[in-house]
Amino acid sequence: MKEIFTGIYNKVIGFFKQTEPEANAKDIACNRLRVVLMQDRTNLTPELMERMRKELVELLSKYVEMDKEALELNLEQDGDQMALMLSIPVIRAKDAEEIEETLEKENAEKEDSDQSSEETATESDNSETEKQTNENTDEDIKTSKCEDYDEECAECNECVVSDDVECEIKKKKKKSKEKIEDRN
Amino acid sequence: MDGRVIVITSGKGGVGKTTTNANIGTALAKEGKKVVMIDTDLGLRNLDLLLGLENRIVYTIVDVVEERCKLKQALVKDKKNPNLCLLAAAQTRDKTAVTEEQLKDICEQLKKDFDFILVDCPAGIEQGFQNAVAGASEAIVVTTPEMSAVRDADRIIGLLEAKEEIKSYKLLLNRVRPNLIKSNDMMSVDDVVEILSADLIGIIPEDTGIITSTNKGEPIVNDEKSLAGKAYKNVARRIMGEDVPFLNLEEDNSLVGKMKKFFSGLMGKEK
Repeated sequence: MKEIFTGIYNKVIGFFKQTEPEANAKDIACNRLRVVLMQDRTNLTPELMERMRKELVELLSKYVEMDKEALELNLEQDGDQMALMLSIPVIRAKDAEEIEETLEKENAEKEDSDQSSEETATESDNSETEKQTNENTDEDIKTSKCEDYDEECAECNECVVSDDVECEIKKKKKKSKEKIEDRN
Repeated sequence: MDGRVIVITSGKGGVGKTTTNANIGTALAKEGKKVVMIDTDLGLRNLDLLLGLENRIVYTIVDVVEERCKLKQALVKDKKNPNLCLLAAAQTRDKTAVTEEQLKDICEQLKKDFDFILVDCPAGIEQGFQNAVAGASEAIVVTTPEMSAVRDADRIIGLLEAKEEIKSYKLLLNRVRPNLIKSNDMMSVDDVVEILSADLIGIIPEDTGIITSTNKGEPIVNDEKSLAGKAYKNVARRIMGEDVPFLNLEEDNSLVGKMKKFFSGLMGKEK
């Protein structure tokens, strides 16, 4: 009995599925051909296109906030002319301050990377320092900040790596504290 | 006389280069033009079969090149039309038996005596293609509304554009099936033209008559009733510079369509 019902059910479902609109063979052929001919006509492989896309996302996101996944980059033929078509879904244009900020940040990063390659790092940003230390240390080393952690600590950074180590600044602070206590 | 040298090429095999060659040649000859067809498909000749001339070949293009005969001796006259000649390919040799320069030279000589020199190109883009194109100044690119044929045609167009000698090229869309286009199962004429962005010189419908005509060795343009034959005739007229509208292949065979036709007939409107 059950089999009869499932048979009927499948048939009904099958009937409705057939009537669903499908992409027709002609359009599929046209689209596939367009893509294939673009690749034939140029030397841009899909990998190169993807790289170009990524680099464009990186560049453009400095100036606008956009849907990075939906950015489309296609080569299109318009008569004899070949064109690179770029479609960017912009969520929000950044204002001048933000742009300035990101550009400054980037410049700083650039300098950082330049200097770190020369091994004379003088980081100014706390979070960045943290990141770098994280990258440079093993997982089992504590990365919590000590009680006396402040801006100065960013310069030496030893206590961030390990609580057991007493850094220069920590020692100084302890001394000054002791002095004050002594006076009292 | 300063004849026009037209190469008929396609890249992909089996799209109807040789059939096109035989039919356009015959149609042009029927219009009173002096036509010679050169089969450059050395080793795989077929143009002679389509014209029903396979038993009349004495000398081939290789014999001409190797000076075993004069050029005029090697030209085989058509059975029906004295305006039409064939310079057959050798069946026993390969593509290297004739060079580009030699073919160019042959074309130059034939230009003096003929209005049209149609060069049947072998499939592929290798030396055979280079040879066939060498003497030509115009080209007809044959393709069908299939992906592989269109892709190959695009490649051929790219190669033709790079050739200085080729002054113009036209697209001939063969084996078009209006029913499949109507049901969106096949690329339409407009689709192919748009994708290849080339000028169209003819649309030939798929026709089972081609098979019988090949079997008989009689080009289909000789069949007055055939739609494909009519389409080829129109191509020939367009080559001669006439402005001929493209055939309407999408005959409306539905009841409504037939009634429309009937009534428009009654009203005296010629369709």
